[in-house]
Amino acid sequence: MKKIYDRLTLRVRLTFLYAGLLAVILSILGITFFVDTRSLLINYVASHLRARAKPVIEHWLYPEAAVPSGSSHALRQPDSEHLKQIADPIARDLTSRNTVALVLDRKGNPIAKGRRLPEEPVPPPPEHSYYSQALAGKNEVTYIVPQNGHRTLVILIPLRQRPAGSSILGVVQLSSPLTPVENTLFHHGVSLAIGTAITLIIGSCLGFLLISSALAGLNRMVHTCREISEGDLSQRVNLPRHEDEIGTLAKAFDEMVDRIESTIDAQRRFIANAAHEIRTPLTALRGSLEVLLRGSQDDPASFSRLSQGMYRDVMRLTRLCEQLLDLARLEISGKIHKEPLMLDEFFKRFSQQARTLAREHEVVIREGPLVRVPADPDILEQILLNLIHNAIQHSEKARTITLGWALIPDQVEIRVADEGEGIRPEDIGHIFEPFFRGGGSASGGGKGTGLGLAIVKAMVEAHNGQISVESQRGKGTVFRIYLPLQ
Amino acid sequence: MTRVKTGNFSSHNSIPGRHILIIEDEPTIAEFLKTGLAYEGYGIVVATDGKTGLECLRSDAFDLIILDIILPDMDGFEVCRRIRTAGIEIPILMLTARKEISDRVTGLDIGADDYMTKPFSFDELLARIRAVLRRAGRGPDSPELRASGIVLNTDTRAVLVKGRSVHLTPTEFSLLEIFMQHPHRVFTRDTLLNRVWGYHYGGGTNIVDVHVSHLRDKIGDRPSRLIRTHYGIGYAFYPED
Repeated sequence: MKKIYDRLTLRVRLTFLYAGLLAVILSILGITFFVDTRSLLINYVASHLRARAKPVIEHWLYPEAAVPSGSSHALRQPDSEHLKQIADPIARDLTSRNTVALVLDRKGNPIAKGRRLPEEPVPPPPEHSYYSQALAGKNEVTYIVPQNGHRTLVILIPLRQRPAGSSILGVVQLSSPLTPVENTLFHHGVSLAIGTAITLIIGSCLGFLLISSALAGLNRMVHTCREISEGDLSQRVNLPRHEDEIGTLAKAFDEMVDRIESTIDAQRRFIANAAHEIRTPLTALRGSLEVLLRGSQDDPASFSRLSQGMYRDVMRLTRLCEQLLDLARLEISGKIHKEPLMLDEFFKRFSQQARTLAREHEVVIREGPLVRVPADPDILEQILLNLIHNAIQHSEKARTITLGWALIPDQVEIRVADEGEGIRPEDIGHIFEPFFRGGGSASGGGKGTGLGLAIVKAMVEAHNGQISVESQRGKGTVFRIYLPLQ
Repeated sequence: MTRVKTGNFSSHNSIPGRHILIIEDEPTIAEFLKTGLAYEGYGIVVATDGKTGLECLRSDAFDLIILDIILPDMDGFEVCRRIRTAGIEIPILMLTARKEISDRVTGLDIGADDYMTKPFSFDELLARIRAVLRRAGRGPDSPELRASGIVLNTDTRAVLVKGRSVHLTPTEFSLLEIFMQHPHRVFTRDTLLNRVWGYHYGGGTNIVDVHVSHLRDKIGDRPSRLIRTHYGIGYAFYPED
């Protein structure tokens, strides 16, 4: 059973739950209504009988009361003898087509029976427990007994010696079959059941439709998920509504796919660019080797030119490989080992390396305030070396490269400035992208790998820092690195 | 890498005397193209950007243009379009780094005659150059190479020596073809081995001597006058007329 339930779709399950709940509520309402109606009808019949019996009983029991006052006769108290005389007319008068009366004495023996015609109902025998209640003076004794396969309403009316007196002579038993009431109730019950069933069916259908429309968004998401998992990352759920829970989920899902798609696009672009960067030197290497093997190796001049070119290409591939590894290491681990670094001491050590790298340029270090910054010294060194390398590539020999640092609120700013050709305004937004090389740069062709600045940016970001660049054509470029002091 | 099969060079009748303009900014690629094609007998001019390339076309006559797609000033498609707009009908062979079909289609649509995807085999490049030149009607006038009474037909692979048909093995045919294409050039045994047996041939150079000896027998070059041995270096072909 549980297995079957688990296999049902959420829609069907919710509809079942909803229909079940509806059935329970409707049943409770129906049963309450039915029971109420039944007791109402029986009470009505009982009070009707009583109302009809009262004047008849009073007429025979207290005939004096009907005579205008001032009569010569003294009020005669009825007694048991008198009862025997009036029992018959009472029983007769109270019996009708649907009702039969029985007059009983104090011992419960019937002393008069109203039934004369065969179509009149047969009175049920008196029941002792109810009878004694009536004898004790209780006015409203009503009960139901089965009689000839029909349920019969029985009411007992005590016969009092005096009106509202406590001395009781006997009891009148009125009985009436409940067939008409039960017929009415049966019809009532049938219409109630049909009404309930129709309400349930319509309610379940509407419920199913409502639930389906509420869950339609989920179905759409399932569809979209499948298409995405098949490789079409451009798919989106795009639900028109965004207010409800499913709409919010769909929106969050779409945003997630957006981010995944752009990440994958960037990866794809990166790989395509990397492949291109590898393909170019490989083409040259393969071509040069083939040309050499085909005979150019026998010509010393060709041999020397081609092998020098091949050496450059191998070096280029090596550098590219190293930088790709650097980038991968940063992206995979993202881990750096920060330690408190006194910038003046760091730059003292670093100046030697910087001057070795920029042998043909002038390196100036402008010391800033004494400050301790949490940073990975090896990585900071690499950041600065990459920036200096970049400066060398884009400025003429003997130009000045200036390094320095300054304290700004909560951060330290490290500068690398050159007096080079500057960056074209249209390029400046792209220079940190992997494999981007400024198109206007005359020395661009094949010199760098295009990864240097991308690595610098990744390294700065691994420090939770930022990098900015400012450049003026023909005047120079300033890179600024901001590292947080905390 | 597939092994370069023996006899692969047999159809490599380069077309000497044709002039090729190479428009390529990568210095090492331009260098090997220039060296390799010059060795095959083509006249080569290298331009490192599109603008220079177009200027070269104005001043000199070329039979073929080898055009890279990625150039510093404008892309290869643009250069190609300008060449065609100027009404120049020189065949163009494009070098592309990308395998995307759209690139090739764009290239061919705007008037390129063929394309090569980097990295490419130099042998295939030579074959494509020959094919493009032939299609453009700039191929050799005759498939026959003639020297000293030897007629070698590169299409039918038939060899006539003094009017008499001689049967050569594919290796011998390739050797003779290389010699006749480059008269007076001294080929080392290594070069002959690379060109005829392929770059991956692992055996020693003695096999070259064996086949040259057979070839001399078949073309009646005894004592050896046409194919002469340069001791310690290799062989060269000296036609008598």
